[in-house]
Amino acid sequence: MTTSPDQTFLARTFEDGRYAWTRTHRVRIRAVLAEAALLGALVVATLVQALTDTGWTTAYFLVWSAGMLLFIPLHSLLNLGIRGVFDRGRHSLDEHQEGLREQSHSRVGWPMTALTFAAWTGGIALASGTGHTALALCLGFLLWFASGLLPYWHLAWTLPDEADEADDALPV
Amino acid sequence: MLRAERRVSRKELADGVGVHPQTVGYLERGEYSPSLALALRIARFFDLPVEAVFSLDPLPAIGSELTRRTP
Repeated sequence: MTTSPDQTFLARTFEDGRYAWTRTHRVRIRAVLAEAALLGALVVATLVQALTDTGWTTAYFLVWSAGMLLFIPLHSLLNLGIRGVFDRGRHSLDEHQEGLREQSHSRVGWPMTALTFAAWTGGIALASGTGHTALALCLGFLLWFASGLLPYWHLAWTLPDEADEADDALPV
Repeated sequence: MLRAERRVSRKELADGVGVHPQTVGYLERGEYSPSLALALRIARFFDLPVEAVFSLDPLPAIGSELTRRTP
């Protein structure tokens, strides 16, 4: 039995002390809110665009692209805050981190199922109602994407602050 | 705290029992209950029986306990 979590390059990045500032509850909450707001805004933009006759436009494509590009640093921030426990191999996690991962997955099981269902039904309803297939695909993707992010958001929201490095100091 | 009494850093203990240092922090603050395997590894690290390290009731400091027993 391996008792020591392997330190892969990815794991070392998530353990890097330079990113300790991302591991506070306040930063994690803000990252979750920012990601949720971004995805919500993209869903609204998709629905608004679908209500027009033009459907897919260059302006919408630019909004979509900007949103997806903005998501990359936001998710990096959130992932650093939770030490990337959802993206690292199990061999680099200890039992506590594995427990956190499994707990968050199980806690958001129903909302994930509901969002995945909404992704399919919403996409199909939008395509059949407006005829804008590309926008329907975008809506379905956004909702499906959000369902996959729920465990990240749950863990980032509920994970308590880690012990201050200063606590590690030994008594003289 | 046993770790401080033994003058072991969090990282040394974490490396010794195969967990991440922050997990030691969660254990010490009572925010995580270890598996039996981890509890046994921690007890072995300190060369103590597991019931001397973990208890359902608050444990006395090892130092004060030794002082009390010394005639």
